[in-house]
Amino acid sequence: MIDHDNAAFIQTGVAISLASCGADRVPNNVRALGCKLVDGGQRVAIFVRASQARAVVANIAENGRVAAVFSLPSSNRTLQLKGSDAQTSAFDTTDLTLIERHTEAFLCEVLPEGVSEIAVRTIHAYSPADLTVIVFTPTAAFSQTPGPRAGQAIVGAA
Amino acid sequence: MSVRIDTIRECLDGVIPGLIATCDADGVPNMAYLSQVQFVDLEHVALSYQFFNKTRQNVLVNPTVRLLLTSHLTAGQYRLSLRYLRTETAGPLFEQMKAKLAGIASHTGMSGVFKLLGSDVYRILDIEQLPGPTLALPPPSVNYLTALRRCSDRLAACDHFENLLNTAVDCLGSEFAIHHLMLLMYDDAGQRLYTLASRGYPASGVGSEIPVGAGVIGVCARERTPIRIGYTTSEYAYGRAIRENAAASGLSAALETAIPLPGLPEAASQLAVPITAFDRLVGVIYVESTADLHFGYDDEDALVAFAAQLGMAIAHHQQVADAAEEPAANEPGPSPPTGKPLAVRHFSGSDSVFLDDDYLIKGVAGAILWALVQDHAERGRTSFSNKELRIDPRIRLPGVSDNLEARLVLLQRRLDERRAGVTLVKTGRGRFALSVERPLQLIAS
Repeated sequence: MIDHDNAAFIQTGVAISLASCGADRVPNNVRALGCKLVDGGQRVAIFVRASQARAVVANIAENGRVAAVFSLPSSNRTLQLKGSDAQTSAFDTTDLTLIERHTEAFLCEVLPEGVSEIAVRTIHAYSPADLTVIVFTPTAAFSQTPGPRAGQAIVGAA
Repeated sequence: MSVRIDTIRECLDGVIPGLIATCDADGVPNMAYLSQVQFVDLEHVALSYQFFNKTRQNVLVNPTVRLLLTSHLTAGQYRLSLRYLRTETAGPLFEQMKAKLAGIASHTGMSGVFKLLGSDVYRILDIEQLPGPTLALPPPSVNYLTALRRCSDRLAACDHFENLLNTAVDCLGSEFAIHHLMLLMYDDAGQRLYTLASRGYPASGVGSEIPVGAGVIGVCARERTPIRIGYTTSEYAYGRAIRENAAASGLSAALETAIPLPGLPEAASQLAVPITAFDRLVGVIYVESTADLHFGYDDEDALVAFAAQLGMAIAHHQQVADAAEEPAANEPGPSPPTGKPLAVRHFSGSDSVFLDDDYLIKGVAGAILWALVQDHAERGRTSFSNKELRIDPRIRLPGVSDNLEARLVLLQRRLDERRAGVTLVKTGRGRFALSVERPLQLIAS
């Protein structure tokens, strides 16, 4: 589902965020701290702070539907992945290095935009006990890079 | 308790783009970045509608959305619950967002891609601050309440229009720490604005003109709403805007082009605020900076409040000057001047006036000067009143609402800058004197 190029892309200094939707058709969203591929590259695991993601986690427990957006500030390249089998799993502390690495890569992206380092580090601050993981199989991918082709399905869009 | 939107407006200017989550008819979530969120009032924000994309489709089906905003100053994150109400495709809100988007597009390399199709107005249902550490807000560069209080006192103490004008410009510099600014007056009949004062440029540009609708200043005047841009954009650059707008409106011939509009060649931040009084446009305050995002919502609010007081004070001084008693019409002037004559040439079609061979002014101010020097040449008059100018058929003032005091200050300043030996001097309320140091040779063309 995710080709090598996009697999590499979502693990660079991209901004990552997640959206969900409840039975009342009211959406929710949360900022994420990094991601990795699991199950031989078939599934994406995204790290979020549970304290900020309560509503998203509740929606996912209800229906498994999720949308994840990855955007690189320096190029505006943006990818959205969607899935319907999302689950929440416990955070493995060995992945802390992935979060740290992602924060550093993201800093390199946004410091030239005029955002201060202390602000970025504060936005990305977490306590390990608060971390949780949302894992899903992408079934649709869309390019959301601004321009005439924004929103175009890359593969699997129904 | 829900957070008030007016306390987190630094999140709206797009330094860290907002994220909008929507939901389609089947309950599938979608997320997209937002170029712009516009503060409307305590209960409403507007989002930019640029493409008919998935977000747009979803909003039309499920109008409740969630917006994630982040402060680049405090790192605070806020989740807003919003309900879509309507889309505006013209008017003040649309023009405010269109101008801002032009700056954002230019800054992000998206000129020609980002185009505002509409301003989507949403009701704010709730604002929740997400758990997490935050930073203290850095101290503001100016305490606007103190600045406004001091400005109010200073404007109220002015005893005539020119004093008010000088004080207003001084206030913007000393109280608001704004270093590049212009004050323009509105010419209703001519559908243009003329520069009456400026600060921070090599040349004052007094007398330069801009058509209503051109650039940040012209759009501000047309819509009577503040227009604020945070980044350099050629779309609102003045040279281009003036040329295109003048050509489109057929104003090219009548527009003052001999006096260049002052302005920073590479302004990044621009803010224009209308000056109004009794629901009428009086003029525009324009401020600019070479720094990105130099002016925020607080700067805009402070200048709007300042402009409101200035507008009322301008209306008051105009009324007082117009109502003042006329002086003796034929009081004897000083002894006739001697020396090399100064040629004053008047072109009746445009009311252009040249002193020797140098262009001075045209339009209403040109007609006023020509009437004054004619009376001086024929009857030796030096004392004049606003009241008589208002009804003088040679001047053809655009209307009773036109600010004659402003026209006189414009003429006075042009004469002072020219240093040709002809000046206007204020002698009392609604009264002034023509001072002539050289014999005048009048030439009607």
